Amino acid sequence: MRQLRALGIAALILAAIFPLQSQGKKTVLQYWSWDSSVKKQNEDIIAKFEAQNPGVKVELTTLETTEYWVKIRLLANQGKLPDVFNMSSGYLEEWARAGLVRDLGPSIDRDLDKKSFYMSVLDAGKDIAGTGKYCALPYALVTTVLYYNKDMFDKAGVAYPSASWTWEDFRKAAKKLTIVKDGKTQQYGFWFFGRYSNVESWVFANNGRLIDPATNSYKPDANAIEAMRFLTDLVLADKVAPAKKEMSAFRYQDVFPQGAAAMWVDGSWFIDNNRKIAGDKIRWDIAELPRGPKGDGKSVYGWPDYVSISPNTPNADLAWKFAKFVAGEGVSLDMYMAGKIPTYRPITESPAFLEKGQQPANKGLLIKQAAKAFRTSYTLGWSEWRGYGPAESLGLNGIIDAIIDGETSFDEGMKKADTNINKILKRYYK
Amino acid sequence: MSSRKLSWYRPGDPWLMLLPTVAGLALFRLGPMLGSLLLGFADWNMLTPPAFIGLGNYTELLADPVFPAVLRSTLEFSLLYVAGVMALGLAIALLLDRKARGIGFFRAAFYSPVITSAVAVGIVWSWLLSPRYGLLNNLLATLGLPEPYWLGDPRLALPTVAIVQVWKMSGYYMIIFLAGLQGIPHSLIEASKIDGASPRQRFFTIILPLLSPTTFFVLNVALIDSFKNFELIYAMTKGGPQNATNTLVYDVYLNGFVHYRTGYASALSYVLLACVALVTGLSFLAKKRWVKYQY
Repeated sequence: MRQLRALGIAALILAAIFPLQSQGKKTVLQYWSWDSSVKKQNEDIIAKFEAQNPGVKVELTTLETTEYWVKIRLLANQGKLPDVFNMSSGYLEEWARAGLVRDLGPSIDRDLDKKSFYMSVLDAGKDIAGTGKYCALPYALVTTVLYYNKDMFDKAGVAYPSASWTWEDFRKAAKKLTIVKDGKTQQYGFWFFGRYSNVESWVFANNGRLIDPATNSYKPDANAIEAMRFLTDLVLADKVAPAKKEMSAFRYQDVFPQGAAAMWVDGSWFIDNNRKIAGDKIRWDIAELPRGPKGDGKSVYGWPDYVSISPNTPNADLAWKFAKFVAGEGVSLDMYMAGKIPTYRPITESPAFLEKGQQPANKGLLIKQAAKAFRTSYTLGWSEWRGYGPAESLGLNGIIDAIIDGETSFDEGMKKADTNINKILKRYYK
Repeated sequence: MSSRKLSWYRPGDPWLMLLPTVAGLALFRLGPMLGSLLLGFADWNMLTPPAFIGLGNYTELLADPVFPAVLRSTLEFSLLYVAGVMALGLAIALLLDRKARGIGFFRAAFYSPVITSAVAVGIVWSWLLSPRYGLLNNLLATLGLPEPYWLGDPRLALPTVAIVQVWKMSGYYMIIFLAGLQGIPHSLIEASKIDGASPRQRFFTIILPLLSPTTFFVLNVALIDSFKNFELIYAMTKGGPQNATNTLVYDVYLNGFVHYRTGYASALSYVLLACVALVTGLSFLAKKRWVKYQY
């Protein structure tokens, strides 16, 4: 009797310690996301995936961007990466070179429905990674567009931007849209500063390049110099755009929707901010950037956000299946901020994407851009030499700001950029 | 008291009581400090294993043409901040060191910026200082005065951010000065009045010398505090324009958490530590020349 009781107690203890075994063991996938604004939508995707794949449990971890990168870098360092995780264009090369993202090429060749994805965006990721391999599957894309204020155009009697616009047409329009009263500029025709999306968009529209891919050095070609000269002249010579210092108290993304400038070039995701800030007070739309004198209009400046897979995942096939789902058939339009473009074509090319009745009327432009070839200037150490985020007043960004603020000449600024940026790049590409 | 009554006392007990605090400090303060000291000799991007590079980070920062500018900005900010909070803190404390109806409200009002979020303070002041639409420049324009680019001009940006930091933190030092002022024996003030001392004489020959221990405390706290200027710089200028407000602590953040150059950031943070140690050390050395502890 005593033996039976002891056996019973042992069985109870074992059942308490290993409850899962009695319920059947599930395969667990870890998924890390940096976007807390779509946590609910991610949970819905996971629920759909789990329903389609009995025996699989996906555990979602959502962190704010800064915290996300510190934690996931440390996990990578310890060889404990989650199976599937979000990846940025800015870091893809660093991770790919360190062998911390799985080569998805064989899986893409084997079972990705290529008609359902913008392959141009996948190819952009391959270029950015710099390893000749598909190291990430894009789920979203942003492009650069020309925002313009229709009310100001109408008031100045200027025709809206068209695909045939040259840079000279743009300059003339900006002049007409600039209003000076009592020696003070009341309204600027255009607004930009040294930010990457404000500058590289023009460089690429003129078929230029900042980085020499053969040597991984900063070597702007003549087309790139021409684009940067054109931009800085808009402030210094034409006076149709303000110096950076004049807008120092503005959030840069609010200058256009608050009506301080008639035109602005930046990422398409600012459609959302324009709607929030301008509301119905301003009529505005988007257009393609005017093509530079050397531009061919075949490529566009844009960059994707991705999901990557850990090279050490024990469930590689399942992780690929989930990555494909979370970038493709599992997504819904409501998880994309207005202006972010899903890379899954059935969603992007659905009538709902166009959001008829809302500004901008020409949102279909984003679909056309998504099918073009992409150009970027990402390298190792990009945030440092380019001056990005909390470093936005430094790097190339700071140098261009210094030129338009009149602190340094164009030639001096370019010389300084050459020295400073190449010093940084040499450190990364030893 | 006989030793028998303390028979429960064992010499090791206080150490046992201190253990949680000491363990916490060792684990969460001294451990990371030691870790970052070691990382200062390594090249580490958090992603791949650290590589030992000896004094590489220190030689790089000494050779970096930006580093002297960062150091200069740090010390300039520190000087402006310490002078500003001490002068303004004392001035407000003198104003509020009186018994009057509603004095508590004014003390709380002057203290309120201290507990306001630095980011919120930075955003509101950025609006006030806006070149085109800011309240300050509009007032200057009305008076026919020049309208400076407070945050956009490399010559003005650092003093401007330092002044905002002084505005934010003076209330804290005001409270300390107020406590010091109220600790001065009233009989001495009374005696000086009977002897015919003017308010100016009372301030410079009675109050200021007797306040010196408080002033010394304020000086050291303000010196240490002056190096912690990250939040306002992040909210107002992000180190710009053209590095003008890039201080050591902001540079540590940029290298550590934006560029992920953890080894270099660790080396920078030890330079920051050396700066703090140097200025507080100098302050302690000069102490006996001017601090009077006896009434």
